[in-house]
Amino acid sequence: MAEVNVIKVSKQYGESRALDDVSIRFAEGGLYGLLGPSGSGKTTLLRMIAGFVFPDSGQIRIDDQPVERLPVERREIGMVFQNYALFPNMNVADNVAFGLSVRHVDKSEIKRRVGEVLDLVQLGSMHGRRIHQLSGGQRQRVALARAIVTRPRVLLLDEPLSALDKSLRVDMQVELRRIQRDVAITTVFVTHDQEEALTLSDRVGILRDGKLIQEGTARELYDQPASEFAATFLGDANILNGRLETGGMRIDDGSLIRFGSRSTASNQTKCAVRPEKIALARAADGPVPSADNRLTAQVVHHVFAGINSTYMLDWCGQRLKVHVQNSGDDLIPVGSKVTLSWSPDNTILVH
Amino acid sequence: MKQHNTAGPLELDSPTISTAPHTPSRRPWSVGAALGAIGYGYVVVVIGFLYLPILVMALMSANASPLYELPFHFTIHWYQALADDGVLKAAAFRSIEIALWTTLLSTILGVMASLAFFRYDFAGKRFLQAMLFPPMAIPWLITGTAMLIFFFAIGIGRGLHAILLGHVALALPYVIIVVGARLRTFSPELELAARSLGASGWQITWRVTLPAIAPGVVAGALFAFAVSFDQFVVSYFLSDPGETTLPVEIYSAIRKGFTPEINAISTIIIVVSMGTMLIVSRLYRFGGEQ
Amino acid sequence: MKFALSSPPGRPLVRAMTLAGPAYAWLLLAVFLPLSVMLFYSFMSDVPTSGGNWSLTFQNYLTFFDEPLYRKLMVRSLGLSAQVTLICTVLGFPCAYMLAKVIRGRSREALFLLIILPFWSNGLVRIFSWNMVLRSGGVVDWVLNHLWPWPVDTDLMFSYPAIVVGLVHSYLPYAVLTAYLSLQAIDDSLIEAARSMGAGRLTILRRLILPLAMPGMLAGAVLTFVPVVGAFMEPRLLGGRKGTFIGTVIEDQFVAVFNWPLGAALSFTLLALVLAILFIGMRLSRRNDK
Repeated sequence: MAEVNVIKVSKQYGESRALDDVSIRFAEGGLYGLLGPSGSGKTTLLRMIAGFVFPDSGQIRIDDQPVERLPVERREIGMVFQNYALFPNMNVADNVAFGLSVRHVDKSEIKRRVGEVLDLVQLGSMHGRRIHQLSGGQRQRVALARAIVTRPRVLLLDEPLSALDKSLRVDMQVELRRIQRDVAITTVFVTHDQEEALTLSDRVGILRDGKLIQEGTARELYDQPASEFAATFLGDANILNGRLETGGMRIDDGSLIRFGSRSTASNQTKCAVRPEKIALARAADGPVPSADNRLTAQVVHHVFAGINSTYMLDWCGQRLKVHVQNSGDDLIPVGSKVTLSWSPDNTILVH
Repeated sequence: MKQHNTAGPLELDSPTISTAPHTPSRRPWSVGAALGAIGYGYVVVVIGFLYLPILVMALMSANASPLYELPFHFTIHWYQALADDGVLKAAAFRSIEIALWTTLLSTILGVMASLAFFRYDFAGKRFLQAMLFPPMAIPWLITGTAMLIFFFAIGIGRGLHAILLGHVALALPYVIIVVGARLRTFSPELELAARSLGASGWQITWRVTLPAIAPGVVAGALFAFAVSFDQFVVSYFLSDPGETTLPVEIYSAIRKGFTPEINAISTIIIVVSMGTMLIVSRLYRFGGEQ
Repeated sequence: MKFALSSPPGRPLVRAMTLAGPAYAWLLLAVFLPLSVMLFYSFMSDVPTSGGNWSLTFQNYLTFFDEPLYRKLMVRSLGLSAQVTLICTVLGFPCAYMLAKVIRGRSREALFLLIILPFWSNGLVRIFSWNMVLRSGGVVDWVLNHLWPWPVDTDLMFSYPAIVVGLVHSYLPYAVLTAYLSLQAIDDSLIEAARSMGAGRLTILRRLILPLAMPGMLAGAVLTFVPVVGAFMEPRLLGGRKGTFIGTVIEDQFVAVFNWPLGAALSFTLLALVLAILFIGMRLSRRNDK
């Protein structure tokens, strides 16, 4: 396993900037997610680390060795492709053994290692199967086995779970984490699914339009997104526009929204609140803690979804969303005037 | 399949050979680029090989020397002689007429058969589909001679009608395959929808299906025309000496000892055939895009 | 989705046969029956229409085994076929690879079209066009004379090499097309995956590309081998006296000698041999799969 360092990398395709001065560090043995909408450059970055694409400027270092001019064959990486790219003319064992046979590893050694890795991905009984006989989940595991059997320095995964259906995906997430812990290879994967990024990775990097917007642990990104984009891309958020003043942010209806110690003021013009952090109170309910931020709004729509309910509210012409955990009370009827309240610690200042 | 705007899978750091804009590579030279250039050159050489004799023949058809000798003196004398050559002209018209009839018959029959395969699953379907291949796979020598024997045995004998019989049989598999391929892009739901709106079978075929597969049908028809017009072997065996098709006539002329008129008519044929297929490819592609 | 089209709903089989019937009736009449009748003929001692007595006999087939000439010619034809097939496959593969995997965009379409077009022109005329190039006074002769200090007279016409060149020229597009279709189906990500595991160009070619392109190449080989075995027009036009093959002998039986039964017998012997070879070939390729 090795540390991967991407240093100020840029790539241009004709008119568009696929990557714009991106720097990111992947520590040894970690599981990293690159998250972003399509066109954000995340796949380009992955392929650049792999060696299929070369940066116009910048450096890529694996184990402190500059590799940005090395072709993929010489970088000793392992890659799992979105469509798995298993060789149809070979069976499972031969597919997995391919990387080893290319390196002229001894036959008995190949057999041993292939057996080992197929056991690891729980396909120990499938050596002789042909690719077309495998299910989607099985193919994915073969692709994974094939990529790690050569003990690469870095493991790269391109949307590893997107081709699987929902239930399989959850299982595979657990599997992937387990295997990654086991082999302890620095792993980087690319996804557009924020839930996947949150559950799978140690750290996540959010990309947009070729730029790295923010990087951190799942918790950090969720609790303290730095930008409106990060706040709305990773989870839901209500965005309020306003102006910073001493003590808080003055929003459009004149209220002063206070924020807690986790946020630092630096010319932000918006603040965000997660829907599940807001409490709803009707006039008939008791008083709201005075330290909380407070807004009055009208219920426009409500949806009952078992575990919780979602309310859409109208405040000064803007739609706000609130998630409320179901505690047995009736739904607040549409049209009611309610008070939204949340603790200042849950106000996030964003750019 | 995602098209990556990068070096192709086997090229090291070299720009993909295409007309699309590419990013300049940092390396001045690489094995990949060299191989790519050699490969491109190879393709050009192959194309050169394929067109060399054709171009030479076209050139010679406009060359004054009756012995095909250089240096080159331009003339349209041979084309004029061609216009006066009654035998070759008659053969040309016969070829065209037969080709048109072949096209008509094989297209109608072929489209019908294709529709049958498309709409219905029935016992023996696989067998029938497999039976399309023997006519295409068996050497025309054998098919042609077999036809000769059979037509004589049942009293049809040789002649233009026999040739037509043969040509349609040869063209049918191609039409069925081409139209079949087009039908595969046609959604069966459209016919069901038309039926739910009350249309009868014939109306559905005429107003829904055929318009949708029209490019495929036209491609198939042009295929049939090309197969018939260019057909030599079968026509050769089934021809009456006095009344033959153009390729057979050209063959006799060559065997007797050639005149440059043959170059002229050959050039014309090549231009017509290739031109037709050029049109097919345009149509077929645009049809396929939909 | 299959369904019966119009009302009143007939059974699918009936509807299908109504549509496909005419086409297959035609094929029956023009291809399958003739082949069967020719098979019957091959057992006859004489052509029935000549009024003479005829009886069933194996003599025609026995002639093949008695006369060493026929066996020699058969071997010669198979050898020619094998040579042409091999050359076409070897020459065509790199071309197909360049088109399928390296050249992208508009160039690819244009080049592909260029390679396929001659294929659709008249085979006879294409063979004839080699005349201009190969004969004494033709292009090759002319070029060599200009390059070589000494006067040279190269006449490549009416020789075995000329036949090979002409046949390769005719069938090369087949090889390119079939290999191209197979190669193009190989997803780029497979090659990228192999590269990511450290495989170099040669390894990828040997272990990934060739095995996956094999079906296409075999198809192209079959499409070339079968017709060439029965060729007579190309040998006659380009080989003259030296162009005697089993195809020309069979042609003679029908056109000159009028010994149709013998011709039929020779045809079926040829067909049987070709099918046997194809069968063995399929077996071998199946074994290689495992």
